[in-house]
Amino acid sequence: MTELATQATGLARPDQTRQHSPLYFAWRRFADNKAALGAGVVLVVLILMAIFAPLITGTGGNEQAFLTQSLAFPSGEHWFGVDDLGRDFFARIVYGARVSLGIGLSAALFSLVIGLPVGALAGYLGGRFDWVTMRVIELFSVVPPLLAALLLASVTRGGLWAIVLIAALFGWVNVCLLVRAQVKSFREKEFIMAAQALGASPWHVIWRHLIPNSVSPIIVGFVLAIPLAMMLEASLSFLGIGVQPPTPSWGQMINIGMNFIFFYWHMAVFPTLALALTILSASLLGDGLRDAFDPTLKGR
Amino acid sequence: MTAAALELRQVTKRFGDQAAVDRVDLVVPHNKVVALVGESGSGKTTTGLLALRLLAANGGQILLDGQDLTPLSQKALKPFRRQMQVVFQDSYASLDPMMTLGEIIAEPLGIHGLFTAAERRDQARRWLEKVGLDAGYATRYPHELSGGQRQRVAVARALILGPSVLVADEPTSALDVSVKAQIVNLLQDLQADMGLSILFISHDLSVVRSLADEVVVMLRGRVVERAPTDMIFAGARHPYTRALLDAVPVLDPKARRRRSFMSAEEISARTPRYRAAELETQPLVDTAEPQLVALAGSHFVEAIVTG
Amino acid sequence: MTGFIIRRTLSMLVTFIVVSIVIFLMMHSIPGGPFDGNEMPLPDNIRDRLMAQLGLDQPLYVQYLRYMWGALHFDFGVPYQSPGETVMGLVAHAWVPSLVLGGSGIIIGAPIGILLGMAAALNRNSWIDYVASALATLGLTIPVFVTSTLLILVFAVWLHWLPASGWGEPKRWILPILAYAAVPLATYARYARSAMLDTLNKPFVTVLRAKGLSERRIIFQHVLRNSAIPMVTVFLPMFVGIATGSIFVEAMFRVPGLGAYFVSSIEKRDYPLEMALMLLISMLFCISYLLSDILYALLNPRIRVDGSRR
Repeated sequence: MTELATQATGLARPDQTRQHSPLYFAWRRFADNKAALGAGVVLVVLILMAIFAPLITGTGGNEQAFLTQSLAFPSGEHWFGVDDLGRDFFARIVYGARVSLGIGLSAALFSLVIGLPVGALAGYLGGRFDWVTMRVIELFSVVPPLLAALLLASVTRGGLWAIVLIAALFGWVNVCLLVRAQVKSFREKEFIMAAQALGASPWHVIWRHLIPNSVSPIIVGFVLAIPLAMMLEASLSFLGIGVQPPTPSWGQMINIGMNFIFFYWHMAVFPTLALALTILSASLLGDGLRDAFDPTLKGR
Repeated sequence: MTAAALELRQVTKRFGDQAAVDRVDLVVPHNKVVALVGESGSGKTTTGLLALRLLAANGGQILLDGQDLTPLSQKALKPFRRQMQVVFQDSYASLDPMMTLGEIIAEPLGIHGLFTAAERRDQARRWLEKVGLDAGYATRYPHELSGGQRQRVAVARALILGPSVLVADEPTSALDVSVKAQIVNLLQDLQADMGLSILFISHDLSVVRSLADEVVVMLRGRVVERAPTDMIFAGARHPYTRALLDAVPVLDPKARRRRSFMSAEEISARTPRYRAAELETQPLVDTAEPQLVALAGSHFVEAIVTG
Repeated sequence: MTGFIIRRTLSMLVTFIVVSIVIFLMMHSIPGGPFDGNEMPLPDNIRDRLMAQLGLDQPLYVQYLRYMWGALHFDFGVPYQSPGETVMGLVAHAWVPSLVLGGSGIIIGAPIGILLGMAAALNRNSWIDYVASALATLGLTIPVFVTSTLLILVFAVWLHWLPASGWGEPKRWILPILAYAAVPLATYARYARSAMLDTLNKPFVTVLRAKGLSERRIIFQHVLRNSAIPMVTVFLPMFVGIATGSIFVEAMFRVPGLGAYFVSSIEKRDYPLEMALMLLISMLFCISYLLSDILYALLNPRIRVDGSRR
């Protein structure tokens, strides 16, 4: 694709290689990262398991179908054993994935709903709006999320929606900072000025140019918010102020399992492993996406 | 007398207490190319942004075909934006990396609600060919192109609305010499075809000489000399203009990077002096400060008027 | 520099006051006062007199100011769960186990983490690099109570090497200290690695190599000192990890420390204790934020001292 070729043929022609959007290159970098790719696959499997839980398990998450076999150890019939209330523990773990992933995803979604517009506006408008936003974020950065969540949860006494909202309350900060930084660095770019010179409204500039160019921080912010919310839910449920029984939650199951740990270890082991695996996969996936979208951030 | 395509009257822009553009007058007549030259930091790019109303001026008027744009809000400005467009220096930064070239070129039509989506795509393909690129590029992305090709796309986007005025802010300074000539030729052809009036901002006097009808020289936010291109190259009066001319062609790249090759003292010591009787028209104000005065043949220069 | 410290301190003070107001309002918004919900409702006139005695009939801002004035004198009131004590007295003996265990966790975890991170940076893409990265990721992502569960399962339940919980004889401290150590170990393994790599890629290291200095001298005299600066900033997130971790570690191992009291204050709705612990912890965070800012500015002369953190 040299300029000389242009002169020779009159019109420059595109070469025959396939065209790729900038996102394609991010995908290629991501696919090279085996750990992140593996984590993504594990997460997809977990999500599928959560969605199709009734097809996988024999009983529901709360059915006390095996009272006579209470606290039975893992066997061919009950892969993860039976819990103290006669419920198939595998079913409870699978239904627990619904809670954990559901809360993780919806909290991340809420974080996005708050963080994206606030970050985009703060980055685009600058000035007073940006100043106020940054001061609010500074407040959030002084209070450790987990402690504040404990306080909030102890006030609200838990419940699914309370936890989602609490997680979003702290999750939006990261999304907002990521989007703001990106928008800020693009605001002065000449293609934005060109759009303004064309008579584009601020809305058009933000929607057509700034947000599409912020897909990477948006995706990264979204995915990284998921493990944070899951960790928050598990921690609160572990302390008894999160998801309330009988709704199965891994954090809550670990708490109960600790009472049985010396004799019926399966009650503690399986929720612990499930939680560790899920949070680890979500974090690895988020880290991998971040590295893929912004190679300069690698290792931070 | 018909109104000029673009006219700036006493336009001023201050950043803090520093005047980046200081009471600048500028006229781009219909179907003409006016070059705005000066070193980096002379305020020429800022003047271009002010003309486009991408920056708000602190004072003065901007007239597009006789219509004063200064009091208009951004919203009221929108119909006038169709008549005045821009090409920037950095072709990479001026194209949205997430959009295909077809989308980029068609975007102005969409913003102004012209045509249907299918017609807009057709127009974009036609314009790709008009600026010398195959229509197959419509589905490509900016990063797949060379600098010269990207600048062609930027030109197509600027001209698809059929504007009467084009502000070209150093469109060739980031390009190789051979590519530069092609872009200049393209601009020349399109200017003739469309009857464009161009404000051509550049520090590259060799390009200016081949393209411009008139040259305006800026120094520290002020216009110091203004004359038809021939006259500037044959008989520049202001010491700064002469220094600029002497510096062409610049073989030593380091010399180009120096911010100023003449000190303020040198310039003021060598500012031309005229007696009022020598001037074509009488100066407006009686002052010992340098002011823009008219010489024979539409030649204006900043000078001190004595007695 | 003095100006920077004063500005930073003032803005931290403002932040702390805002946080304390938010905490106060939140505790206040909990439905039900101390005299509601009893089995035997008090007659209205007695209830009003009690409210007046406790100052609960005053406007909110007066109550807040009174509370903060008391807090300044270390008077946080009386905990519901043990009315014979003051909140401050309870805190005074509860911080000992937290400090012993958390401090040991840092003392053990941080140096191992730093060494691991350094070794990983010096042997990029070797097995030690992968081990360090894996440990760092695990330690930073997996909640402390999961680590604790696994430690108890392996060392107490299956191997019977160590007791699972309690306070007292030092043997019981080992598992909680290990659980604590995971966070600083992971944090420092990651940051030491990236700080070292950053420094090793700097041109001055190439110059030193070209000068013929031994690799050992380059690393110990030059690279280490330059890598230390970014590592200072890690202290804060690590401290946050330890402090929040203490809640779970102490609940898990049944250690009578600050974290355990925090949990029991939540479980028993002991609001005076909860409020006091929240305030103390936020204050600790503000102070450590401030210190790490100042330390960073002192160590790094090139930092732009304009009062902005980011």
